[in-house]
Amino acid sequence: MSTMQKTIEFRVEDKFSKITLAVGLIALLLGGFFGLIQLIERTPYMPSIVPPKTYYTILTGHGVLLALVWTTFFIMSLAVYIVSRELRVNINKTLLLLACILAIAGTFSAALAILLGKAAVLYTFYPPLTAHPLFYLGLVVLIIGSWIFAVAIFHAYLAWRKNKPSTSIPLATMGVLTTLIIWLEATPPLAFMVLKNLVPMSLHYTPVDVLESRTYFWYFGHPLVYFWIVPAVTLWYYALPKILGVPLFSEKMAKIALILFIVASTPVGLHHQFVDPGISNIYKLVQTIFTFIVATPSLLTAFNIVATLERAGRLRGGNGVLGWLKKLPWGDPVFAGMTLAFILFGFGGISGVVNASFILNYVVHNTLWVVGHFHITVGTATTLTFIAASYLLIPVLFKREVASMRLARAQVYLWFVAIAIMSTAMHIVGLYGVPRRTYDVTYGGQIPSSWIPLLLAVAVGGIVLVASGALYQAIVWRTIFGGKRLEDHIDVVNEATLASPTILDNLRIWIIVAVILIAVAYIPTFLEIYSRGLSLVPPLTPEGQILG
Amino acid sequence: MMSQEEVRLEYLWVIVVVSMLSAFIVSLVYVGVAKGFWTPEEVVTCDVKKLDEFIEPGIRELEPGVYEVNIVARRWFFEPGSTQPIVLENPRKIIFRITSADYIHGFEIVGTPVNVMIFPGYIAEVEWIPPKNLQGEFLVLCNEYCGIGHSNMRGILIIKR
Repeated sequence: MSTMQKTIEFRVEDKFSKITLAVGLIALLLGGFFGLIQLIERTPYMPSIVPPKTYYTILTGHGVLLALVWTTFFIMSLAVYIVSRELRVNINKTLLLLACILAIAGTFSAALAILLGKAAVLYTFYPPLTAHPLFYLGLVVLIIGSWIFAVAIFHAYLAWRKNKPSTSIPLATMGVLTTLIIWLEATPPLAFMVLKNLVPMSLHYTPVDVLESRTYFWYFGHPLVYFWIVPAVTLWYYALPKILGVPLFSEKMAKIALILFIVASTPVGLHHQFVDPGISNIYKLVQTIFTFIVATPSLLTAFNIVATLERAGRLRGGNGVLGWLKKLPWGDPVFAGMTLAFILFGFGGISGVVNASFILNYVVHNTLWVVGHFHITVGTATTLTFIAASYLLIPVLFKREVASMRLARAQVYLWFVAIAIMSTAMHIVGLYGVPRRTYDVTYGGQIPSSWIPLLLAVAVGGIVLVASGALYQAIVWRTIFGGKRLEDHIDVVNEATLASPTILDNLRIWIIVAVILIAVAYIPTFLEIYSRGLSLVPPLTPEGQILG
Repeated sequence: MMSQEEVRLEYLWVIVVVSMLSAFIVSLVYVGVAKGFWTPEEVVTCDVKKLDEFIEPGIRELEPGVYEVNIVARRWFFEPGSTQPIVLENPRKIIFRITSADYIHGFEIVGTPVNVMIFPGYIAEVEWIPPKNLQGEFLVLCNEYCGIGHSNMRGILIIKR
């Protein structure tokens, strides 16, 4: 094929990937540092180091910087690299530049509001708590930047599709497209709500309805989870077989999983609102059923990845029921990081099913259980996978050798051990009723003594996690600025050889199915809220001052 | 390429997954229909500036052992609960009517399944049938961030037998 011989330059694409990766890494650094302060403040017997206002400001920064900024920027970096290399196409420069500027400007604006102490509203920013307008406007600008980014990627994909009408979509690109489709399903109603309710509330002290705003937030809040998970899943599907030198066990099942993510990741937000009064049990049940449907692709992924690992282990001479495990390259930080993240993802799935069961959810809602859950999902399944992938991606983008692969190996294992300790303790102590998001976890010394040992275990895991994060930052910045230069140009993603397209490659059909399911799940919910009539309440600052 | 055996295993796994998830859904629906365990849904809207007209904080015994507990949550206490403990003697059934005067708050009775969000502008109604031999002092916590005084927001529920 001519495209194989034709050399394409990816200068702009790689520059974009480098900048977004660097922004993501800085967000990870700052967000992680905030985590350390929270840890010290929340641990029993430790002296109080910050006042409440600062604590909640830091907690807001931790959530926004890690859950939104680090993930979004890493995903943009990765997406551009995958799509440009796998499809061998250039991505529109103007769109990339615009997306980059808007995303960074939006992030900067929201981060400024947080760092100035004007947005202690946490990353869920439920009204009537009110932040500075820069916070909400920054979020909207970041979202608009991400839409332009999505347009740039789809533009490149459609250009490729025009040239190759009769081939299937390569798997990693399919993962990127799935991620972006989920994002495009999730964000428009959120942007609408922020502009309609929260910006006027912040600027003119306009009253708001809390149930309406929360429902819009969680409409976005759960597909956001799949926006984090699908890129990690894509990396497992793509990178693990490559590292092991075997084909993925079932590419077809991988594509089915991605399609299930497209159709079922959005109509599920009410499972975050089980204990919200004012929403009918029937609608909550419908979305519970969709939630169990969206558990399916994760379970399919679990089988597919384990089967791939087993195949590789047996080819390397592993025998017996579990003997093949020993033959896997556990010393390679990329393999180990992704596989350890994948293992913890399994446990995250189990606690996720508990959260999705509304009877059990009573016991865990707003407790530390939930915090344990998302530190093994977005905090490990996603973050540790991204970290492992960065040990491949940084050398390619910056043409530098990783400063120390031995330290990198230690770093990924430390992360795994840290999260295993911290999240297990958080899950258990959450079942005892320890709330999340609180400045003084001892409640003025009134807490049951059974909480204490587990809260100390949370602290031990947390300290190890901070150590792993610090080591990671040291390795990546040392690599970027002082790593040994790589002369050869290597690509870790190559143009794929492709079969004929099937119905699994017809994204249009699956987007239509997704829209229908969203309508089924959400039209009755919003009709219920609006037909009851909104109940408007005045905004307040976190200090308790009523505005307007 | 996958062998016949591998394809068979793949289909088997799909069947396992679908059956398992269906069993979860069926058991949730069963518990809901047969045992009446659902989620909080009942609300009436209210005017947050004229709360007195909609709710009077305090405990009313509707019939022997059946209590209606009317609670107003505000920054940063529960009335009753924080102002004075909620004391109930031999409760069979407790109906909480609960609202907020300002932010979103949470109402969690630690060690029980009572856990409901409290919205300003809405009065929620939730029922709890405590186990017959349950007694003692229970910590009541606000479990939703509600501004800088959040961690001070707690109360006490006492069940006497």
